[in-house]
Amino acid sequence: MTLWSRFRSWLRATFGRSRMESEMDAELKFHIEARAEDWVRRGVSRPEATRRARLEFGAIERAKEECREARGVTWLDFLAQDLRYALRMLRKKPIFTAVAVLTLALGVGANTAMFSIVNAVLLRSLPFRDPDRLVRIYFNNPGVGLRNVRFSVPEFDDLRTRTDVFEDVSALVSGPTNLTGAKQPEHLEVLESSPNYFSMLGATPELGRLFGHQDFALGFAPVVVISDGLWRRSYGADPGVLGRSLRLDNDLYTIVGVLSPGFRDPGATIPAVDVWVTAGFSADPYPMPARGTRVLPGAIGRLKPGLTLAQAQARLDAMAANLRREFANDYPPQAKWTVEIVPLQQSLVGNVRPMLLVLMAAVILIVFIVSLNLGGLLLARASGRHQEMAVRSALGASRSRMMRQMLTESLLLAWFGGIAGLATAAITLKAVLRFVSANLPRLSEVNIDWRVLGFTLLISLVMGLLFGLAPAIHSSKAGLATTMREGSRGSGYSAKAGRMRDVLIMSQLAFAVVLMVGAGLLLETLRELLRQNPGFNPSQVVTATIYLPHPNNPQLDPYLTFAQQIRFNRELLRRASAIPGVELAAMTSNLPATGATSSDSIGRTNSNSLAIEDRPTESSGDLRAEIIRISPDYFRVMQTPLVEGRFFTEGDEDGKLPVAIIDEATARRYWWPDHDPVGRRLRILGRFAGRNYSPWKTVVGVVKNIKHDGLDVDGVPHVYVPVNQTLGLLLSLTLRTSLPASTLEAQICGAIQSVDPGLPVFNVTSMDNVLDASLESRRFAANLVAGFAGLALLLGSIGIYGLLAYMVGQRSREIGLRLALGAQRADVLRLVIGKGVVLAGLGIVAGVIFSASTASMMASLLYGVRPHDPAVFLVAPLLLLIVTLLASYIPAWRATKVDPIVALREA
Amino acid sequence: MDRQLDLLQGTLDMLILKAVSLGPLHGYGILLRIQQISKDRLEIQQGSLYPALYRLEHQGWIASEWGESENKRKARFYRLTKTGKGRLQAETERWNRMSDVIAGILRTTSEEV
Repeated sequence: MTLWSRFRSWLRATFGRSRMESEMDAELKFHIEARAEDWVRRGVSRPEATRRARLEFGAIERAKEECREARGVTWLDFLAQDLRYALRMLRKKPIFTAVAVLTLALGVGANTAMFSIVNAVLLRSLPFRDPDRLVRIYFNNPGVGLRNVRFSVPEFDDLRTRTDVFEDVSALVSGPTNLTGAKQPEHLEVLESSPNYFSMLGATPELGRLFGHQDFALGFAPVVVISDGLWRRSYGADPGVLGRSLRLDNDLYTIVGVLSPGFRDPGATIPAVDVWVTAGFSADPYPMPARGTRVLPGAIGRLKPGLTLAQAQARLDAMAANLRREFANDYPPQAKWTVEIVPLQQSLVGNVRPMLLVLMAAVILIVFIVSLNLGGLLLARASGRHQEMAVRSALGASRSRMMRQMLTESLLLAWFGGIAGLATAAITLKAVLRFVSANLPRLSEVNIDWRVLGFTLLISLVMGLLFGLAPAIHSSKAGLATTMREGSRGSGYSAKAGRMRDVLIMSQLAFAVVLMVGAGLLLETLRELLRQNPGFNPSQVVTATIYLPHPNNPQLDPYLTFAQQIRFNRELLRRASAIPGVELAAMTSNLPATGATSSDSIGRTNSNSLAIEDRPTESSGDLRAEIIRISPDYFRVMQTPLVEGRFFTEGDEDGKLPVAIIDEATARRYWWPDHDPVGRRLRILGRFAGRNYSPWKTVVGVVKNIKHDGLDVDGVPHVYVPVNQTLGLLLSLTLRTSLPASTLEAQICGAIQSVDPGLPVFNVTSMDNVLDASLESRRFAANLVAGFAGLALLLGSIGIYGLLAYMVGQRSREIGLRLALGAQRADVLRLVIGKGVVLAGLGIVAGVIFSASTASMMASLLYGVRPHDPAVFLVAPLLLLIVTLLASYIPAWRATKVDPIVALREA
Repeated sequence: MDRQLDLLQGTLDMLILKAVSLGPLHGYGILLRIQQISKDRLEIQQGSLYPALYRLEHQGWIASEWGESENKRKARFYRLTKTGKGRLQAETERWNRMSDVIAGILRTTSEEV
């Protein structure tokens, strides 16, 4: 078992160092004394005996050294030596070390921050019990191209009774609500779910209890669970909150529990849900359950254990086929109604995955550039240390030993940079997150965990190896005779090293070009979007939003009838117009550029089916438009031009002829160019009712398109109806005024609450801000990539500068010679700058080719800009060329200042 | 006394193992014993003794422990381990085989080629 004894002795050697040394000393001392004793016994005097004994032994220090080696000098000793030496080397050049550590820190820090986001959003599983079993359930009508349509209570029950795929399912409805009965009226987000919602997710309460079987009700159970945030905000974290009651939209609920602070619903982070209620969705305010009465927007489920996704999907397909056959009346055959399940995590983050991956790639690109930059600088320095390497190898150092030494230096540098980067990222992560779009799902889960730390370590290691390997290999190959012969200054500019450095610089510049092109395309997209005519004039418009309560108990509803709503609308507009500074006041149910909720949300949408007179209704999903309620002056406030017909008037109210105004997109889709829409009639399919259409509405006008869903969404048809002819809950005041929103806020709240003191007012802001906010995430991504591109540009120019400066330094003798032999300053300039231009040129060309071939991958992120936009592809390389020319000029200029006499004398 | 024979490293290891196999000894004692059993024909370079001892201990053929010498002084004693015994045997056989082969070659007369 020599392995074991080797290990034991290695262990002893590593950890019992001093004891071993003293033992060895004692042993050798004993030996010499014993020898001396023998001499003494033969009659020699003691001092003479000792002397002879020592002589006979021989070189004691060498013997000790050999003993130490025999024990196996550990790699730990070598490492300690290397580290000490590396530290000394780094301390000798403080500026270089500082610059290197800073650039490394930048690279590592950016990567750490980006990866912590990617980790939390894409990689980590959802914070629920057995998250892989959770799925999002979609109901689709693929035959007419519709996905994620609403479903009915019987269809939801089928998921439990007609198939054994699910262990548990829960319907989900989220939306706004007005909280009254707490400290002050507040506008909150509420989530309505089935009673098993929390148990399905594995959530635990901080206080009290969560929903359970006892909370089953046909309508709404009179219990509510509140969030930790609400508990602290409005109840001061009072443990006696259980049993207190509050009103949501005027309905009374009793608080039974407080959720733990870490809980997040599996949905977008904004708006965060503060109150949870549970319902059976089969009684007030919901209509009587019928298969065709499709009210519910979303559902999630937990698959039975042991069932794969494919198996579950197959069974659901079979169930859907059965249902389609059995209830043919409710499932038109051309719709091909199906049920689809998607893993919950995928449904949440699927649409941000591409953007995050692009950003991650950009950040890793930065790592490469930083490593290459440092590699070039280190290589330059390594050439200057040829002498040192040659002497070492002459003294017996092996090649691997020297390589190890150089690598240790690089890895030490990388380690420092990594620590600095990690610290920076940790400190600034919270600040960085504030700039990230709030629409990013799972944003609140972003933190630095073990995986991020491991990634940081890996990145630092890879960087260290990347920039350390080249100089290490290069210096270990130091040919003895040639280098020692090359004179004391060491013209360490050997051809091979020079080639390696050239390649490094060129690759750097190529990467910089790629980043600049990417940034250019994204910035162009942003500019295009901002240039887009949104269809209205956002400047000098202030908005404020309210939400009319929708209590479950109709008797508690103060806005149930037309008379009540019309009275409210008129009074509100009157008071709003009376605010000093307000020129014109109007209302709308949806502000432009706030977007109808995306197809993946579970909130309420405006998308409705239409039926158009004189046009065959093929199926209920065929004709669609978004319905928006407005007051008569709305288009005047927004300054949206009228194309045909007229705006609404005060006369368009309940009881009079029902009217509608359509936008160009609707006109184009359903009437133009063959027919004139004005005077035609259409009707809208009610949201809850299965087959109940609204009464026929006459089209009285056509307006220009307003980009309701965002500046990058075109062509969605909209139909506008008067507020006084259609009941609704969400209202936004739009006021044309030259005063800023902050000045008007108090007066707007006052005006609204003078009509109804229980109405919370929120989002008082200018229309300009609303538009800006809609571009938030794009702006962030574009700025980020632009920042990286700028960094890459800086690093590339530093790299060229460093290389040329070093070249001038090494060849100063040659330059001095040339000058002495009659070369002009211009020739020297041409020499140096020429090299810079060649390097830059080659690098730029490589970068442009690479960008051109991969630009189409970015197509999904662009708008109004082709991936091969010529302007970007021209400007980016040009910019880089100019910067590198500038960077080359400085060392070139210095070269011309070389004094020939001085240079020649330093032979 | 015959001229000192130059020793190869491998053979020194073998001799140490043999010396120690006859009973535990400290370093100096091993030196004397080798001299003794070689009937004074062999003298070991003192400087190479201890590195060899340490190497053999590192490899596990001998083991050491501190004890008292004849004149009551502290000394490190080495003894043969079980694996060391096997090693000594193997090395001895190899040596004998090798010397047979070499001797045979050297005995070859011109006629036998």
